[in-house]
Amino acid sequence: MPAMLFEEYRELIPDFDSFVESLRSPLPNHLRVNQLKPSPVPLVPMLHRKGIFLRPVAIGEDTFYEAPGTLLPGKLLEYFLGYIHPQALTSCLASLVLSPRPNSSVLDLCAAPGGKTSHLAQLMENTGIVVANELHPRRHAPLVHTLSRLGVLNAILTAYPAQEFPLRQRFDFIMADVPCSGQGRWRLSRAPYRKDSGKDVMSLVEAQKKMIVRGFDLLEKQGLMVYSTCTYNPAENERVVDFLLKQRDADLVPVGNFPGTEPGITQWGKEKFDARLQRARRFYPHRIDSVGFFMAKIGKRR
Amino acid sequence: MAKEDERRLLFSYLKERFGIPELVFDDFDVFRKSKRWWLLRKTTNVNLPVRLKVSQVGLKAFDRVGKYLKPATGLIQLFGRYAIKGVYQLREDEFEKLLRGDPLDVESTMEDGFLILRLGEHDLGIGLLMQHKITCRIRKTERQRMVTT
Repeated sequence: MPAMLFEEYRELIPDFDSFVESLRSPLPNHLRVNQLKPSPVPLVPMLHRKGIFLRPVAIGEDTFYEAPGTLLPGKLLEYFLGYIHPQALTSCLASLVLSPRPNSSVLDLCAAPGGKTSHLAQLMENTGIVVANELHPRRHAPLVHTLSRLGVLNAILTAYPAQEFPLRQRFDFIMADVPCSGQGRWRLSRAPYRKDSGKDVMSLVEAQKKMIVRGFDLLEKQGLMVYSTCTYNPAENERVVDFLLKQRDADLVPVGNFPGTEPGITQWGKEKFDARLQRARRFYPHRIDSVGFFMAKIGKRR
Repeated sequence: MAKEDERRLLFSYLKERFGIPELVFDDFDVFRKSKRWWLLRKTTNVNLPVRLKVSQVGLKAFDRVGKYLKPATGLIQLFGRYAIKGVYQLREDEFEKLLRGDPLDVESTMEDGFLILRLGEHDLGIGLLMQHKITCRIRKTERQRMVTT
């Protein structure tokens, strides 16, 4: 089944058979330790006493952990107290790549359910201001709940369509984690993604193009934006970023060479993309043991 | 934004009831809508919220319930550590009971009103002490989520 679903990416995804195999295994539980609400007692031994053995995802790492085995983090006292937040590793990396400074102004264009927003607030040490924008009112309750539970004190909530966010204000940092077909989450949900209709995906791509351009137009002169999706589809990734590079005086900043990741592609079928797209990164589940992801870091050309 | 006298009322209540120093909140602006107040960290980008149509600002801090001010769970979890009174130290079995929605019978000399529920070193949220009974004021959905563990 996974091989059939993703067959069109056989030439794109390295070691395709391992990729397909990885989709059959359950997604590991990753937890982010929330530094906005530090536990008064050491968290790792506290969870150990409950039979939960946290493993840092990297040596010396004290923020991102893997919790092997079955785990329902939402039922834990530590979750209620806001000490931990279940979050895919790739989702955490997006905020790290943006790395907003304390006291800066940040816009999260599509903020719900709030994992990235709260992580951005953490990186800003709860200073400055984060505008958590979410169009859909039904997503406001979970967003507000996440921000409140995690002790975010520097956020305001707005409800504009991302592609129409008012240009009255410029931001130092923008997170554009846009709605996408969600192919990269397939292992997680086992639900069909929106590929079912080519028309749906094309309308998504059109919306994504408008969002990336609006995000760019909202940047301060020295500002930085991360454009990210959880899909493998080049139409929603490289094609969208390429569109921005053609429309605006934008440049790509290297995302960073995360082990096990691949550069963005510069050709898909007969379609060629700007060579700078190699500075973007593709994340595949068999290489990083998380959800599939795409990330590009964008600034203004100097 | 809330007026200065309103702000004073909120923080003097926390000082009187829980001993939380008012200066803890010097770095925050207070916003009010109807019977609810929010805290937002002061920022140099003061004009930003004014230029946008804002749905919510900062962290929910208080509700007015009848004539009482009820501190929000999020506020207590962040600032409860500064409290030096008005705190009820829960035993594990009492915590379980509150999670199930049952009241606790207590022999407390504390004045009736809201108090901070603390389990070990962890500030959980708010309880209401009335006539030697404590009821939990943490949202039912939150309690129910934990009760099955």
